[in-house]
Amino acid sequence: MGFLALAAASGKVHLTPQTRILAAFLAILFMLLILELIRRDRLQERYSVIWFVAGLGMLAGAAFPGLLELVADLMGVRNTNVALFSIVLLLLLGLALNFSVIMSQQAAQITRLAQERAIERARAQEQENGTQRRGSDVARQGRREPQ
Amino acid sequence: MRTLVFIPAWNEAASVAAVIADVHETLPGADVLVVDDGSTDATSARASEAGALVASLPFNQGLGAALQTGYLYALREGYDFCAHLDADGQHPPAEVARLLAEVEADRADLVIGSRYHAGAAEATNDDYRPTLSRRIGTSVFRFFLTLATRQRFTDTTSGMRAANRRVMQLFSENYSPDFAEIESLQLAVREGLRVEEVPVRMLERAGGSSFLTPLRSAFFIFKGVVVLLVGQFRPRHAGAER
Repeated sequence: MGFLALAAASGKVHLTPQTRILAAFLAILFMLLILELIRRDRLQERYSVIWFVAGLGMLAGAAFPGLLELVADLMGVRNTNVALFSIVLLLLLGLALNFSVIMSQQAAQITRLAQERAIERARAQEQENGTQRRGSDVARQGRREPQ
Repeated sequence: MRTLVFIPAWNEAASVAAVIADVHETLPGADVLVVDDGSTDATSARASEAGALVASLPFNQGLGAALQTGYLYALREGYDFCAHLDADGQHPPAEVARLLAEVEADRADLVIGSRYHAGAAEATNDDYRPTLSRRIGTSVFRFFLTLATRQRFTDTTSGMRAANRRVMQLFSENYSPDFAEIESLQLAVREGLRVEEVPVRMLERAGGSSFLTPLRSAFFIFKGVVVLLVGQFRPRHAGAER
C-alpha cells in the first residue's frame, strides 16, 4: 500500500490524476487506521508518531509529485526511483532499530519484574520458615508447662 | 555479620541438594539461597527440601539475571557479605569459605575463585581438565580483560565469587544479563572496586552437562569480545561509592 502511494508519487512514473487520488486516498486511509488502533488501545500514542510521519510523507508525495524530484536533486541522484527507494529503505531501517531499542528496554523491564517476583517469593518462604520455627518453639514450651 | 551464599541453578535437580548440604556443613553460619532460573525439573523442590531458600524466576532469564537476583536479595535483606557458586558440584564450598574470608577481612570488595591461578595449578591438575574450546575461550577472554582492566585475571568466567555490600549495590543495578562474568569484572574494576583472584580447587561436574558446544563457544567468545569493547566506553556510575 505504501509502495503504491510512493510509486505514484515518483516523477518518472507517468501520473494520471486517478493514481494520485488513489495514492492520497490510501495515505489517508493508513493514517485513519493508525488513529483507529490508538482508539482501540491496540497501539500506544507514543509509538504512533513515527507512523503518522510516514503517512504524511506518503500524502505529500501523492499531492506534490515534484517534491520527490526536488529531494532526488538535493541527494544528487539522477533517477528519482532510486532516491525514493533509498528513502523508504532508510525509514524502514530506522523503524526496525527503534523497535530493537524498545524491545531491549522491555526485556530489561521483564527481567527486573521476574527478579522482584522471585525475591518476594523467597522472602515469603523465609517468613513462613520463621513462623514455623517460632510455632514449634511455642508448642514445645506448651508441652513443658504441664509438667 | 550476616552472610548469604546463593546458588544459581537451571535444571540442576540432580546435584543441587548435595551442594546445599555441603554448603550448610562447611558454612553453618550462612543463609543459603537457590536462584532457580526457570527450571523445568524439580530443582526448586529439591532445593527447599534441602533447607535452602528458593527464589524462583518465572522463566529462564540467563545466568546473569539469576546472579543479579542473588545480589539484589542480599542487598535488600541487609546481608553484609555474599558469595555464589555453581549448582553442578564443581565448586567445593570449602573454597568458597576461603573467598569469603578475603572479603570479610576487607582485603578486597570482590573475590574471584580462579582454577587457573598459579597457586591452583598443582592442586587442580588431577581434578579439573578443561576442554579445548574452553581453553581457547579462556585465553581470549583473559587477554582482552587484562587489556581492558590493566589487571591480571586468569579465570575470567569463574562462577565462584564472594562480595561485600559495595559490590551488591553495583551489581544489583548494573549487571549484563547476557554476559555476566566478564563484563561484571570489567565493571567492578572501572568503578574502582578492589577485585582479587584467589586460587581454588575445582572438580569435574557432578551432574548435568556443559552448555558449550564448539559453535556456541565461538559465538560466546565473539559476544564476549564485543561486550568488553563496548564496556570500555560505557559511562561510569557513581552508585559504587558509599
